[in-house]
Amino acid sequence: MYPQQIHGYLRKFFSENNCQIIKDNDHYLTTQLTIEMDKKIMNRPFYWKYLQNTNGVPSPAQLTLITDQNKLDENIKGEVVHFGSPRLNQLFQTTRELGAFVQMFESVAGNAETKAILTPWLGVNYKVSYYSDQTKEMLYSLGINLITGHMMDDFQEWVSGLELDSNMPENAFNLTYIIKPLRALERLDVAIENIINQDDHTWAKEAEKRWHKAQEVLEHFYEGVEDRPDCYEMEKKALEEQYETKIKIEIINGGLFYLKSYPQ
Amino acid sequence: MIIERSSEWKDGLIKRLDLNETWDNWTLYNMGYDVVKANLITDFTGLQSPKYLPNLTPLSHQLEVAETVIEKMNGKAILADEVGLGKTIEAGLILKEYLIRGLVKKALILAPASLINQWIEEMNHKFYIPAVPYKKNYILDNCNVVVMSMDTAKKSPHKERILEQDFDMIIIDEAHKLKNHKTKNYEFVQSLKKKFCLLLTATPIQNDVFELFYLISLLKPGHLGNYETFQSSFSASKHDWEHDDHLKELVNQVMVRNRRQDTGIEWTTRRVQTIPIEFTNEEKEIYEMILELKNVSPVFSSAFSMITLQKEMCSSKEATYLTLNEMRKKCTEPDVIQYVDEIIQKMMALEINSKAEKALQIVSEANDKVIIFTEYRASQAYLQWYLYTKGISSVLFNGKFKNSKRDWMKQLFKDHAQVLIATESGGEGINLQFCHHVINYDLPWNPMKLEQRIGRVHRLGQEHDVHIYNLAITNTIEEDILALLHVKIDVFEKAVGDLDNILSSLKKSI
Repeated sequence: MYPQQIHGYLRKFFSENNCQIIKDNDHYLTTQLTIEMDKKIMNRPFYWKYLQNTNGVPSPAQLTLITDQNKLDENIKGEVVHFGSPRLNQLFQTTRELGAFVQMFESVAGNAETKAILTPWLGVNYKVSYYSDQTKEMLYSLGINLITGHMMDDFQEWVSGLELDSNMPENAFNLTYIIKPLRALERLDVAIENIINQDDHTWAKEAEKRWHKAQEVLEHFYEGVEDRPDCYEMEKKALEEQYETKIKIEIINGGLFYLKSYPQ
Repeated sequence: MIIERSSEWKDGLIKRLDLNETWDNWTLYNMGYDVVKANLITDFTGLQSPKYLPNLTPLSHQLEVAETVIEKMNGKAILADEVGLGKTIEAGLILKEYLIRGLVKKALILAPASLINQWIEEMNHKFYIPAVPYKKNYILDNCNVVVMSMDTAKKSPHKERILEQDFDMIIIDEAHKLKNHKTKNYEFVQSLKKKFCLLLTATPIQNDVFELFYLISLLKPGHLGNYETFQSSFSASKHDWEHDDHLKELVNQVMVRNRRQDTGIEWTTRRVQTIPIEFTNEEKEIYEMILELKNVSPVFSSAFSMITLQKEMCSSKEATYLTLNEMRKKCTEPDVIQYVDEIIQKMMALEINSKAEKALQIVSEANDKVIIFTEYRASQAYLQWYLYTKGISSVLFNGKFKNSKRDWMKQLFKDHAQVLIATESGGEGINLQFCHHVINYDLPWNPMKLEQRIGRVHRLGQEHDVHIYNLAITNTIEEDILALLHVKIDVFEKAVGDLDNILSSLKKSI
């Protein structure tokens, strides 16, 4: 992410969270945090505890974030953020928390006479990570039609191109789902496991080979030693932790989508 | 295979479906997805860290080292680049990569006390790795990246506190201090769990090939076999062996070493001269009287103290006097005392120090900043006085100086003084690229110490050719030292690889 992209991201993040942007230059911005946002990102629980106990008037912080230090010629006090900085990571994390569950309706044009029918879908974005002494991550966006049970991938790509609203349009009605969302989630979870099972797992075999080889070297060092010292066990454990293979499945976010369109 | 999953999202969904909790914002939903997509590590190999480090432009050899260590050496390696090529940057890149990939959560960095601040500074500012210095009262559970000195770490109660922690990565700077397996340092590092581990040293062999064996056995026990098998293959003589190609290959599996010339960077040239110096007749007479001491009294029978006296006499009468006077106190027989007193008297009368004169001549001819390295504090003080009487300003530098004083002395040297006179231990970790003349006033036994000294000025950022002057007095112990230095350099080159010039081409004549 380039400084400009980060700047755009921050502007969008704060305004979507109702934090007023007080100053917005192209290389820094100052925002008035809401009480909720202050509690979330400013890491000062004692202040808020104190206010609560004393019935004080809350004064949420203003935050100045500098997105391009090189362009800064005025004397601005603020935090420098860049791709990789702890503050930006925190805001990324906060974004994920605040955007984990949605319920969206596709907008319907036209008159109220002919009501459009919206079909319910459950969409879930998964991140799958493979771990040994190396890592690899994959994103899978799956959707399931809650009427037919039809599943599709690249769901996010599809829905993010549609015009959606969080309120149900007046000239439309929803079909009630036949497959319950929790049941649908289970089906998607199974689908993800199938995808993983069918994947090429040479990486895990390679990691096991590396582990085996490292273990052999270690055994060689202690060949003929009857009472092996503690550091032998320690090394052995270190090798296990280093090479052991593991797969992690995380859900980034997901939600219910009532859609008029149908995937091509 | 273990599959980890969490029901957290499912629980959140139930709350929204059944308890009517509010749904989230669609824009934030998309932003959250896009961020994960942008940060996705799509491949087992390749480096992620550079894109997170906008303020750092690593050199290509540094990126290559990071990749090799992670992909070919599985995160356990000796980083042995020549001094001044940025081993700290390489270590930072590797640590950052593992942190980003989630393979390392906690790391321990062990460095000499004088370099702790430099590590903290570089990790935080160049790499945005929140490294903190070890403090007695910190709760280590909350510190993810801790920097501390080996001297502290190996002692109670710190040792126990460190061993309690589950570190995923251990980084050890100046790892040649672990060459002796009988030391507390070695024992301590051996007791640490080393899942990922980097040992940083420009000088993995200082004296003999066993040092390399012990270093590698810390990192990967068994890689060079066990002690018995190693000894039987490589021990015909500590300095000489036949299987050097095989050994080199094994070593290269766990060690990366860049030489200045491989880096693709235009390096300034290193001009090394060995300058032979003749004693005056008066100096020679005293030196010979010192050589005679061992036949005069058993007090002087130890080879070690005789060698010390000879080396000191090659440095300055001030250095010699201190040792000689201590030994005189142990003498009981009047004629021995008389002999020693005669030496002392002759030293008092001595007006010329040939080596100091030579050093002065070099300083004057250079007409530029010069660093003089000596082995003795007494010589250091003498040289400062001597240069002062000739109108040349100098500052002193010792390893015992605190960080603030080191920085202050460095600044004084840069802005005001022509000469910096340093003792050996003052050499580590300071960077003096603005200077390009180094006088090795006394020669150490260990060629790597010379390399470390030269590395203070001949490093990234040096824009001029660097001139090295090795002073050696003819027909004294310093000639033996030179010869031994050449033998040791040869050992290093056979096991590890070529070295940049430390000594001048005298090598072929031995």
